[in-house]
Amino acid sequence: MKLADDPEVEEFRAQFAAFLDAHLPEEAEARERAGSSAHVPAWARRWQRTLFDAGWLLPGQPPEYGGRNAGLPQQLAHLEELARRRIYHSFNPQGLGIIAASLLTFGTEEQKRRWAVPILRAEITAALGMSEPEAGSDLAALRTRAVADGDGFVVNGQKIWTSGAHDADVLLTFVRTDPEAPKHKGISALLIPTGTEGVVRRPFGSIAAEDDLDFNEVFLTDVRVPRENLVGPLGEGWRVANGSLGHERTLLWLSYAERLEDLLLDAADAGAGQEWYATLRMDLTALRLLGYRQLGPDRDPAEISVLKLLGSEAVQSASLHVLEAHGAEGLEHPGRTGPYHHMHHEHFISSWFERYARSFAGTIAGGTSEIQRNIIAERILGLPR
Amino acid sequence: MEFELDEEQQLLRRSVRETVTKVRGRPEKQQWETYLRLGWLEAPPLELALILEELGYAADPTPFLATATWFAPLTGRLPEGSGTAVFDGIGRYVLDADRADEVALLTHRGVTVVPGAELAAERVPVLDPHLHAAHVDADGLVAAVPDLALLGLAATCVGACRRVLDLVLDHVKQRVQFGRPLGSFQAVKHKAADMHVAIERARALTHFSALTIAEDDPRRADAAHMAKAAAGECQRLVFRHGLQLSGAMGFTWENELQYHLKRAQACDLLLGTASVHRKALLA
Ligand SMILES: Cc1cc2nc3c(=O)[nH]c(=O)nc-3n(C[C@H](O)[C@H](O)[C@H](O)COP(=O)(O)OP(=O)(O)OC[C@H]3O[C@@H](n4cnc5c(N)ncnc54)[C@H](O)[C@@H]3O)c2cc1C
Repeated sequence: MKLADDPEVEEFRAQFAAFLDAHLPEEAEARERAGSSAHVPAWARRWQRTLFDAGWLLPGQPPEYGGRNAGLPQQLAHLEELARRRIYHSFNPQGLGIIAASLLTFGTEEQKRRWAVPILRAEITAALGMSEPEAGSDLAALRTRAVADGDGFVVNGQKIWTSGAHDADVLLTFVRTDPEAPKHKGISALLIPTGTEGVVRRPFGSIAAEDDLDFNEVFLTDVRVPRENLVGPLGEGWRVANGSLGHERTLLWLSYAERLEDLLLDAADAGAGQEWYATLRMDLTALRLLGYRQLGPDRDPAEISVLKLLGSEAVQSASLHVLEAHGAEGLEHPGRTGPYHHMHHEHFISSWFERYARSFAGTIAGGTSEIQRNIIAERILGLPR
Repeated sequence: MEFELDEEQQLLRRSVRETVTKVRGRPEKQQWETYLRLGWLEAPPLELALILEELGYAADPTPFLATATWFAPLTGRLPEGSGTAVFDGIGRYVLDADRADEVALLTHRGVTVVPGAELAAERVPVLDPHLHAAHVDADGLVAAVPDLALLGLAATCVGACRRVLDLVLDHVKQRVQFGRPLGSFQAVKHKAADMHVAIERARALTHFSALTIAEDDPRRADAAHMAKAAAGECQRLVFRHGLQLSGAMGFTWENELQYHLKRAQACDLLLGTASVHRKALLA
């Protein structure tokens, strides 16, 4: 254990910082905002490609996938540097962080070339079709059926909450291929291009605004999908799903730390002299420390649940304190609550109410807080199921 | 930074736990001599925090905490025998002041050390039978609490909280009601999970505080407040859930849970509760 920074990591960070200084898009160029989590404005596509070509998109990957084979501490430094400057890593976070990453782990060479690289180069965008009306926390209860037919599958069913689906080119969809098998065994992962006949997407508003369109219902009716779009072996979809979520999770805590850091800065006035502000600082420090610890060898993956629970809940209670500290002024919506940054519009246009409301994405999506507590109790503390 | 315990530190933690388990129940003096012989009083801050966590885990009855984290940082040396210090400016509830061989006093003239026998110290009756706290009568006291003293209480508190959680886990895994182990009920699981997260959070901040003291990092004062506040917050949750989940059994004198609950609570109340240190962090 030591406080000192690793000189190799700092050298890496300095290189990335120099790259950002030299290549960050100009403000005038970066006016257009993203409409959903799979809508990437043209300037942002160019920017993502610049990162890809220079090996600064996913530094942990080899150069052909936008990286430079960097280790975990370096990947952390990379994300920290983006956060410090309030730059989004990608305007299609599910595409970059989950779908392309799963394809790089489970996909064939052809799938990597045809789907992963274009997603990474922001030539196309992708959305994640896991949840269904009857399968939320209990994802393995999913019912969307894929029936083998000739050299492919015919898919019928419905997905919901599919962020950005209406703007996405392709969906990574989890389907039931074997209804006889136990519920975790009969699932497979399929890439379904959204232009395929029988795919209907209906975006709907979020808690923040009726016209804040990111959520989608996706109806799949007799959708024909070629066999080559099967990701991972048939019936191994549960493993792909866990792997897909696992990718993001190692460094997921960092996104909560970033949010806490932003709150700490943006709410400095409201927090002056308030005890909750001290708690916010403590949460942030503890989250970072536990996150660094998770970089060590042989960590139990269940410990990621500690980070997710601590981070998402801390963001939520901090956001509530900030909202309350503003009193009636907190009602104003939309509002400006953060500094303007042309690479990160969110806080500039988000009211305190919106920031609090959006904190529930952290405690609901990607495994709710209750599910994280179950995991901690059963897998870390050994309590019976 | 690196935030994993290295192999030596992990080894130390294990050997401390083994030793403490072995000498438990022996006369207090023997326990004390064992700690001295193993050089624990001389341990640097991080190692000291690990030792104190284990001593907190065992509700250690010796004056180790006060000697290592109250007397030593104030005087810059170890006492002849055991020691404690008065640095709160008022001399109230001074840990072990009734039994320490040497007592350091912080006054406007600086630090003076007096033999414990010559000091007017009156032990205060407290709930925890193993805790010694005394009021000290001395002139010219001033307040300046060493970071290490806050860290010491925080680390002890974390250890005591961990012990409470471990006892609760044992209990709810074994006890069956409604035909199921209590630990299979989700209301129980979620309380246990929250206790675990609170302990991990407080422990991380305790280790951070120890590192900043060891390296005399400029963040050391803030880090000590954070550690003390986080340990206090943790204690609050662990006390409440820990006693509740133990049922009436936890309400008895015979059950050892009481010692650990009281130790944890005392560590929060001495030298300022969580709230006091949150405020200090904002100053
Ligand atoms: C902003 C946002 C974006 C999302 N984007 C996507 C996306 O792109 N693709 C996608 O597939 N999905 C997406 N989701 C869906 C998300 O994965 C689900 O919301 C999540 O898995 C929870 O499912 P649910 O909403 O159906 O809640 P439910 O599972 O119905 O849960 C409701 C409540 O019951 C509790 N509960 C459920 N089971 C248990 C249990 N066993 N023990 C205790 N409590 C329990 C939950 O914790 C929760 O509090 C998104 C969700 C949000 C909020």
